[in-house]
Amino acid sequence: MTSLSKAPQPAAGPVLEVEDLRVRLRTPRGTAHVVNGLGYSVGPGETVAVVGESGSGKSVSVLALLGLLPPRTATVSGRALLHGEDLLTMSPERLRQVRGPGVGMVFQDPMTSLNPVLSVGRQLTEGLRAHGHVSKAAARARAVELLGEVGLPDPGRAVDRFPHELSGGMRQRVVIAIALANSPSLLIADEATTALDVTVQAQILDLVERLQTEHGTGVVWITHDLGVVAGIADRVLVMYGGRCVEDGTVDDVLERPAHPYTRGLLGALPDLAADDGGDLATIAGTPPPPTDLPAGCVFWPRCPVRGDARCETEQPPLAPVKGSHYRDKGTSGVPGEGQYRDEGTSGVPHRAATWCAEGSGS
Amino acid sequence: MTSTTKRQVLVSARGLEVHFPIRAGGLLRRGTGVLRAVDGVDLDVYRGETLGLVGESGCGKSTLGNALLRLVRPTGGTVSFDGAEVTAMSRAQLRDLRRRAGMVFQDPFASLDPRRTVAQTVGEPLEVHGLHPGRQARAARVRELLELVGLDPGVAARYPHEFSGGQRQRVGIARALAGEPDFLVCDEAIASLDVSVQAQVLNLLRRLQRQLGLTLLFISHDLSAVRHVSDRIAVMYLGRVVEVGPAAAVAAEPQMPYTRALLSAVPLPHPQLERSRRRIVLRGDVPSPARVPSGCRFRTRCPDVFEPCPDVDPALQPVGSAPGHVAACHLHGVVGTPVQRERPGEPVDAGDPAR
Repeated sequence: MTSLSKAPQPAAGPVLEVEDLRVRLRTPRGTAHVVNGLGYSVGPGETVAVVGESGSGKSVSVLALLGLLPPRTATVSGRALLHGEDLLTMSPERLRQVRGPGVGMVFQDPMTSLNPVLSVGRQLTEGLRAHGHVSKAAARARAVELLGEVGLPDPGRAVDRFPHELSGGMRQRVVIAIALANSPSLLIADEATTALDVTVQAQILDLVERLQTEHGTGVVWITHDLGVVAGIADRVLVMYGGRCVEDGTVDDVLERPAHPYTRGLLGALPDLAADDGGDLATIAGTPPPPTDLPAGCVFWPRCPVRGDARCETEQPPLAPVKGSHYRDKGTSGVPGEGQYRDEGTSGVPHRAATWCAEGSGS
Repeated sequence: MTSTTKRQVLVSARGLEVHFPIRAGGLLRRGTGVLRAVDGVDLDVYRGETLGLVGESGCGKSTLGNALLRLVRPTGGTVSFDGAEVTAMSRAQLRDLRRRAGMVFQDPFASLDPRRTVAQTVGEPLEVHGLHPGRQARAARVRELLELVGLDPGVAARYPHEFSGGQRQRVGIARALAGEPDFLVCDEAIASLDVSVQAQVLNLLRRLQRQLGLTLLFISHDLSAVRHVSDRIAVMYLGRVVEVGPAAAVAAEPQMPYTRALLSAVPLPHPQLERSRRRIVLRGDVPSPARVPSGCRFRTRCPDVFEPCPDVDPALQPVGSAPGHVAACHLHGVVGTPVQRERPGEPVDAGDPAR
């Protein structure tokens, strides 16, 4: 299974570096500030999970990276370096060249992201032939190989099937095969397993993890499911109201959450592992509309703590959490985690955009 | 928690079947088949309990919920509600059933009429069943219901589009409660809500159940949520209930390989635990309910499949240590109906889905 790593992998440095990403959308209700200064980086073989509820700006932030927002209504600023090359200022032609071998994307709904009137093979070879000079026959052989790699039974026949003949899990495998067709160094998955059953989700997560360790692909995994995050992510970024309110290693953020929103989110989750039968914690109210963000901290209107007088008028900066120390994830003792992981995640600070992290409000 | 000693059965299904005919359309009029959405379900729901019903999409859990309320007509078997036979009810009896058994639907955006105010939506069951006659009495009852589900009674004159998903789901619950039902079926009632809002609705359902002594059938694919709200859990696979038991027992000591796989696939928000936990990854997809495998229907994906599985259709039998924990699996002793083959010598795999 070395076929996916045909393209040379740039050895060092992060795959993707996002700095101060901002997205504004023009809407009938006024300007929506959907993403407000987002920054993160993804190393080779690393999985960064972006977590948030609907409307937090997590999907728009990646659509902006790939130039998939309507240019007439969307204003994107900031920097997004893919191997040092800025995606946001790229010419459309260059962007088209970069998308296939650079970035693969998997969307939530496998039914709407596949074309119903084209066979699976046709949709797979399209990307292959657009980015590399391969003959029809070679592209088809490669398509069969890819379908085999993502675990589709009987790939030789599946290649001639149409999307409606496949189950949801099989369709999502096809979408993943298309995303991986040109061996991208970065895979972006936007709620890729949300529409699937847990058993199928487990199959897909296994698949992505395997492909990732084999090829060192960097992954941005967008989800609202903190359980999935715990299973696959190296680092987590919690989004609320278009900003990152907390980030750090998966252990720091999920086991030692500092921001009241992250704490609320975790408390609101029914836990299969430790159910004490008590009521779930809830976060009162609803997220703010992006057209009308609060003046101070984005979470202030729903915050149960409000530990500092400045919260109401001033957005707390993303700052290292007091008492956190830098951890090396290489010591987690999991066998077989590729060598990529250790480099990328050691020394990741645990940061939160709050002034009330210390001991209060749990 | 209901006491285990003296439990009254409120809703009971015996050998319940809902089969849908498949008509081949288009140019190729190939033979018609039968889609076995619900295929021989035995299930009791005790008065005052929350029974969680879990399973993957397409396993027939929604159809089962609908069949219990006779929103679809069963093609076989019986359903009784508080002693009365649901499948043989007259119009008048059915009307009473509609008052006493309510439903909360999945999508709060589709299940509310956009052109009717909250008061009209919640008040309709009162009108239909002639409860709280008189405009003022009805309006007072609507206010009471809205308060009960945690909405400001002042919102009665508003329209659904003015509400968020969670608030709409509260309106849906208020409507379901209007007739003072004994039994409430919640069909994926929290599936379309955000995590923090889900928690609000789950807490509400639990509070209402205690406060009003409701009996709940909580249908969901979310095992963590089901574990949280349920007293007992029933697991469905391909039209059949394959395991039932006290929630703690089913979650901690699942006895049927399918339940084990399902539970192991649920991602938990604990990184340390997730790294050490072994997921049982089932191979393949669920077979089509139009081509149910012979014998045990899970055998095509079962990691523990052995000799009697294709030949004997397993019946629910007592398993594990908790009282009332039953599962349909030959690993606990071969109990069930031998498969009747049409012709002797026909291969047992006749019912297999094409692989």
